Amino acid sequence: MRVIEPWVAEPLQRFLAESSARVVLLTTASGQVVAQHGFTRALDVMSASALGAAIMASTEELGRLTASGASRSLSHQGPSRGLFLAGFDLPQGRWIGLVVYDRDSSLGLVRLFFDRLVKELRVVAPTETPAREVLAADFENELNASLRSLFGR
Amino acid sequence: MRTDILSSLESITRVRGVRGAMIVSAEEGLVIAESSMEGIDGAAVAALTAGVVARLARATEAAGRTAPAFVHLRAHGGGLMAVPGQGDLMVVAVTDPEVNVGLVRLELRRAAEHIA
Amino acid sequence: MSLVNFTTREITCKIVYYGPGRSGKTTNLQYIYGRVPEGRRGRMVSLATQSDRTLFFDFLPIDLGSISGFTTRFQLYTVPGQVYYNATRKLVLQGADGVVFVGDSQARRYDDNVESLQNLQENLLAQGVDIRQLPVVFQYNKQDLPRDLILSPEELDDALNFRGVRSFGADCLHGQGVFETLKGISELVLQRLAAGSPAT
Repeated sequence: MRVIEPWVAEPLQRFLAESSARVVLLTTASGQVVAQHGFTRALDVMSASALGAAIMASTEELGRLTASGASRSLSHQGPSRGLFLAGFDLPQGRWIGLVVYDRDSSLGLVRLFFDRLVKELRVVAPTETPAREVLAADFENELNASLRSLFGR
Repeated sequence: MRTDILSSLESITRVRGVRGAMIVSAEEGLVIAESSMEGIDGAAVAALTAGVVARLARATEAAGRTAPAFVHLRAHGGGLMAVPGQGDLMVVAVTDPEVNVGLVRLELRRAAEHIA
Repeated sequence: MSLVNFTTREITCKIVYYGPGRSGKTTNLQYIYGRVPEGRRGRMVSLATQSDRTLFFDFLPIDLGSISGFTTRFQLYTVPGQVYYNATRKLVLQGADGVVFVGDSQARRYDDNVESLQNLQENLLAQGVDIRQLPVVFQYNKQDLPRDLILSPEELDDALNFRGVRSFGADCLHGQGVFETLKGISELVLQRLAAGSPAT
């Protein structure tokens, strides 16, 4: 399991243990990864989060257009694995959860424990994040070197 | 809601000591129909009971036996009973400690046959 | 908005390639995908119609390596250019850290470029983002076509680039200008981050 914010770790660990989910991905509404469990490649996580965020965004937009209301969650049942997607609000903004489960779990269990996960996250989420220095002023040289190596130049 | 499903659930809840009854999708662990007293979280009962019954079925099958036809979980404050029906359906009852287990089981089986 | 993980020292930024239909947005990503070593890029996700027109978006995550001690990753997105798909363009724009406007240099596509740029401004504004506050670069693609069919980068700058931000002439099919464009937008996005813009 990898988490961006340490306060996410404990509730997410509990969710994994209780729901027996195989893969969990928490992202922001724009598809930035916040936490993940079950993926092996960081770059695949980004693809999954981009697609998950797109599905949620388009489903919610569709809900608004058809006046059926914003969708809270949706699920897809494959032959051996199921996929559950849900949006929820935290002080940090709107987040999305993507859960993959197999026969060790069920949609009902995932939904049940996902609701609990959201409740727990709301309790532990900090309301303010202190500003911190990110990049040194002279990052350009490193960026140029990185891009050159990326393009084989 | 189909009236025959509702009447099946009522037959179970009419038994003294039964606090709730529900028809559950065994594979998804979701409530299909429910008749429960206040204070019973139907969605949680359905999800967790379906999970337990699925695991028990795997255990009995691993031991070379067929899947259980009746599951009874006894706790301090009462119990849970489940009868897998045809296909994906399962009938579940939430009971007090002092309940006529045989009668509840009979009604659960009737309901399971009826909704198949 | 950029995501910064101080614990694992990782930065993730979202860059959107915007522009009119068939201007070469997907070609930019395809070229980058073809040039970047496998270990430093993810799968290229393309949600396209049967005729290979982008339906929702293309997506390519790339790993820039370590910058100022942070593992830096960029998520590159394209939007569908056709006017018809504005709803999906809005969705893809959400949370963008920078935009590459890919213009079509052909003189006959002049109006399409202007319309698409206006559409970008409107869609950003609808999300409460002033385009003047967002890192943007221009790329004028198809500069390899015969001179009598296209406008020069200077002419296109006059028509589109009112703010005088960085612009690049390009021939994406053969890779010319693709690297320079990505470098240009990367610098702007990271400069903004270094200047202490809020990161979540």
